[in-house]
Amino acid sequence: MRKLKKITLAIFLLTCAAVLGSAQSITGLKVMENVYNRPTGPEITSEMTMTLTNSRGSTRERTIRQYLKKFGEDEKKIMFFTSPADVKNTSFMDWSYGDSSKDDDMWIYLPALKKVKRISSENKSDYFMGSDFTYDDLGDRKPEQDSHKIIDEEAINGKDCYVIESIPKDKNSMYSKTVTWVVKDSWVGAKKEFYDEDGDLLKTLTIHSVDKVNGYWVILDMEMENVQKNHTTRLQFKDVQIGKSISDNFFTERQMKRGVR
Amino acid sequence: MKVIEKLLKFSWVVWVVVIALTLGALFEIKANVSLETNLDKYMPENNSAFVYSSQAEDLFGIKDGIIVAIENPASIYNERTLQKVKDLTKEFQKMDEIERTDVTSLYTADNIIGSDMGLEVKPFYVKVPKTAGKMMSLEHAVQSNDMINGRIVSLDGKSTIIIARIKKGVFNDDFYNRILETVQKYEGPEKIYVAGRPIVEGTLARLMPRDMKVMAPLVIFIIMIALLVILRSTKAMILNLAVVLLSTIWTFGLMALVHIPVYSVSTMIPVMLIAIGVAYGIHLFNHLYIFMKNNPGADKKSAVLNMIRYMWKPVMMAAVTTAVGFTSLLTSEVYPVKYFGVFTSFGVLSAFVLSMVLIPASLMITGLPRRRKPAAEDLDLENKEQYREKNTISYIFTRKILSHKVLVITTAAVLIAGSIFGLTRVRVDSSFLANFKEDSTIRVTDKFINEHFAGTSSFNVILEAKEDEAFKNPETLKLVSTIQEKLSVLPVVGDTFSLTDFIRRMNMVMNENKEEFNSIPESRDMIAQYLLLYEMSGDPETLNGVIDYDYRTMNLTVQLKSDDSKSMREVVSIIDGYRDRLDEYGINVRYAGSGYKALVFSELILKGQISSLGLSLLIVILLLTIMFKDVRLGLIGSIPVLFTALINFGAMGLLNIPLGPTTALISSIAVGIGIDYAIHFIENYREYSLIDNNKLHVSQLAMSHSGRAILFNAVVVISGFLVFLFSIFPPNRQLGALVSLNMFTSFAGTLTIMFMLLYMTNIYFKKGDKK
Repeated sequence: MRKLKKITLAIFLLTCAAVLGSAQSITGLKVMENVYNRPTGPEITSEMTMTLTNSRGSTRERTIRQYLKKFGEDEKKIMFFTSPADVKNTSFMDWSYGDSSKDDDMWIYLPALKKVKRISSENKSDYFMGSDFTYDDLGDRKPEQDSHKIIDEEAINGKDCYVIESIPKDKNSMYSKTVTWVVKDSWVGAKKEFYDEDGDLLKTLTIHSVDKVNGYWVILDMEMENVQKNHTTRLQFKDVQIGKSISDNFFTERQMKRGVR
Repeated sequence: MKVIEKLLKFSWVVWVVVIALTLGALFEIKANVSLETNLDKYMPENNSAFVYSSQAEDLFGIKDGIIVAIENPASIYNERTLQKVKDLTKEFQKMDEIERTDVTSLYTADNIIGSDMGLEVKPFYVKVPKTAGKMMSLEHAVQSNDMINGRIVSLDGKSTIIIARIKKGVFNDDFYNRILETVQKYEGPEKIYVAGRPIVEGTLARLMPRDMKVMAPLVIFIIMIALLVILRSTKAMILNLAVVLLSTIWTFGLMALVHIPVYSVSTMIPVMLIAIGVAYGIHLFNHLYIFMKNNPGADKKSAVLNMIRYMWKPVMMAAVTTAVGFTSLLTSEVYPVKYFGVFTSFGVLSAFVLSMVLIPASLMITGLPRRRKPAAEDLDLENKEQYREKNTISYIFTRKILSHKVLVITTAAVLIAGSIFGLTRVRVDSSFLANFKEDSTIRVTDKFINEHFAGTSSFNVILEAKEDEAFKNPETLKLVSTIQEKLSVLPVVGDTFSLTDFIRRMNMVMNENKEEFNSIPESRDMIAQYLLLYEMSGDPETLNGVIDYDYRTMNLTVQLKSDDSKSMREVVSIIDGYRDRLDEYGINVRYAGSGYKALVFSELILKGQISSLGLSLLIVILLLTIMFKDVRLGLIGSIPVLFTALINFGAMGLLNIPLGPTTALISSIAVGIGIDYAIHFIENYREYSLIDNNKLHVSQLAMSHSGRAILFNAVVVISGFLVFLFSIFPPNRQLGALVSLNMFTSFAGTLTIMFMLLYMTNIYFKKGDKK
């Protein structure tokens, strides 16, 4: 459930702009820090369409209206399902804290049950909403958790990228390594490969579309493919608004029940 | 025949050719023979049941699981045991043959619990609890979760299982060994049990050949002794045996040459060739001895020529009819059975050619066999008057049969009636476990796991609706839930598992853990929202195993405490009872999983075997009618085949021998041997009717000539196959018993009821010649 917040982080991780340092003598760690530390908008709303496709070509599509607001180091987020019809108005709320020792607070509201429930989950390597993204993939991973190395420089779609190889310091990580293509001027990721414990390619993340909203880089379309299971998850964002004011009172149980504004 | 006679001049050439062909076959076997142990390769590719099952297996990731149980007589809730569960889980996850997410244990399981505030999803433990307090709360967590308690951890808390589902088609000897080695490291003081279909199949695949390696030489040795006793000549024994062994080598050589793999049912080929091939040589030598006795001064060439001239026709007729009879197995849908039919036919024809070519050639080269002591009961044709008073066993036997016609007919009728009764009780069983002795490790392990957990075997019921989203309908799910309850009543069903269990659990958890909410909610939206919530909080892979993406196809898994076909049929019959109600919701029922496939497979083999027996019976009647130019002889000649097959199946029903892929094929002996005996006896009877018009005398002559050879043949094969009764392996014991039984009924059927009917028809005797 805490995965819910990571989706936003992922967007930040991969989108936001940074105006840091020259390309000379930059280290792998520095590149990843630049990506991680990009400034993000204080308030974001968007409409996300999540499309899951399994190996047989069947799909499940969900649309979610999401609202996020930063409160200093803390962050509050609320998501409303708008389709499919049978889960419409189901909502989730997630409060995450800068103090990493403090667990997220999460709530769920099921309209059919008409009750708001607190929820908690401790499984970090779980996949987010049955997608191919884990919590970790969605950006909660801090640069210092891995050893980074620039292994190449390469152009992706005409944009110059650093190719960074990151090896987890924790031997129990579910990945043996990841390779990230980071666009040089924007510090936005362009592509990422995830390798499983045996060193085989497990997943490939492709960024299909990036745009600048209100001065911030935003990913509008990305796709994670699990090449071993032949399963993909596509996240597409519409109507992204950054800086549009959201009331502090919006992130409440009452709002969860009331539904989308 | 002329060709064979001419060949006598080139006896050395025959030897060279036979040796060359045999060496070639051996070389081919060494270079190209391959064993096929993958059961999926046995299945007919376009049989709809298999095709559907395979599709469903792919859709839901249904795989065969290895079940490892860890038992600690005190309690599993201690650091060491829980550490072992964690380590073993991780070892399995790292194996190439197993996907990480396909390992289920207390370590990997999600604990979904309802708390005062709401919903909590967490692992039972990540680090092994070190304090007594933490250990107790873990124990409590397990005990209050029905999805784990009794499923992953035994209710008494003394054992827990790890289930590792293995990828398709990767199971092999090496993997089997690695699993056992891995598991052994964790043995002690905890007891470790390994079970599951792949392990049972794997053990079986190793035990069967190992047992055969011990038994086969013994069988051959006993047959050698029996041949020696009966033929009283080492040379005759060696030649007779050579025919059998060389025809077997040629058959497997051809198999290797055309790249047909050796299946487990192929082990039946040598069995058939021993039973049938030994007969040809025995008949030849039997005739030769009679000729030698009646023509003491004859040279080897005239003796061999006489043997060929007289025996050529019956041996050829027997071989051709048998071979054609076996090709009727081509009608089977199962490839290994088709191949069994074709290659046994080839082997029978090889045995025929070898008998007709190698035996005469060898006699030409090495001289006639010198028997240690000529048998007193050898037929003496010179002394024609003598045989009327002679009191040899054959003569007495003939008279007894003819004077007790009513008894013979009654006995036959009783046996047939008994067999028909037995036939109704024959059970098809594809169980792998039934192949092991009650006290074998594999059975003990299976019993342990079945007693403490849901069951070692599983069976998948696939429910398929006409429309997408059908399984979000509360009515539909309630019906499925009802079916599950009905199934759970069966003693053999340990557990059932489907989408409904997730929904019920979620409903309860979201309603403060109140038991009354352990049910399917009334609202469709509620179900959809629970599903969404589960997907987001639990492991979505788990849901993929019970429902497809479109909520249109559902997998209901039934855990069984036995892998026998009866248990599966009980499940099927309960579900069939709900077909109409399911149909109202537009839901169709199919089945899947390897246990089900094995069941269908066994039934296919049985069906194929019965229809092929029927077909070969028709072929036999037709061929015999053509050969003997009389339809009555066609019918009479088919009696031993019919009689043998009927008693074979009847005995299986009465002795509770299950009908499986190999036992079904044993009845083919009826075709091979029944025809042989009938043809030899009728042809011999006909020959003697040409020199004597007294029916009783002709009968007595035939009985002491070919009747004796038939007895010899039965005795040799039976004594050999009785060795199998001492096998440690139940299927091989059944093989020994059934082959012996079939030899005996073929022998008895030919010389009693068939002979009597032949006698009573007056064929070959003009009217008025009756005595």
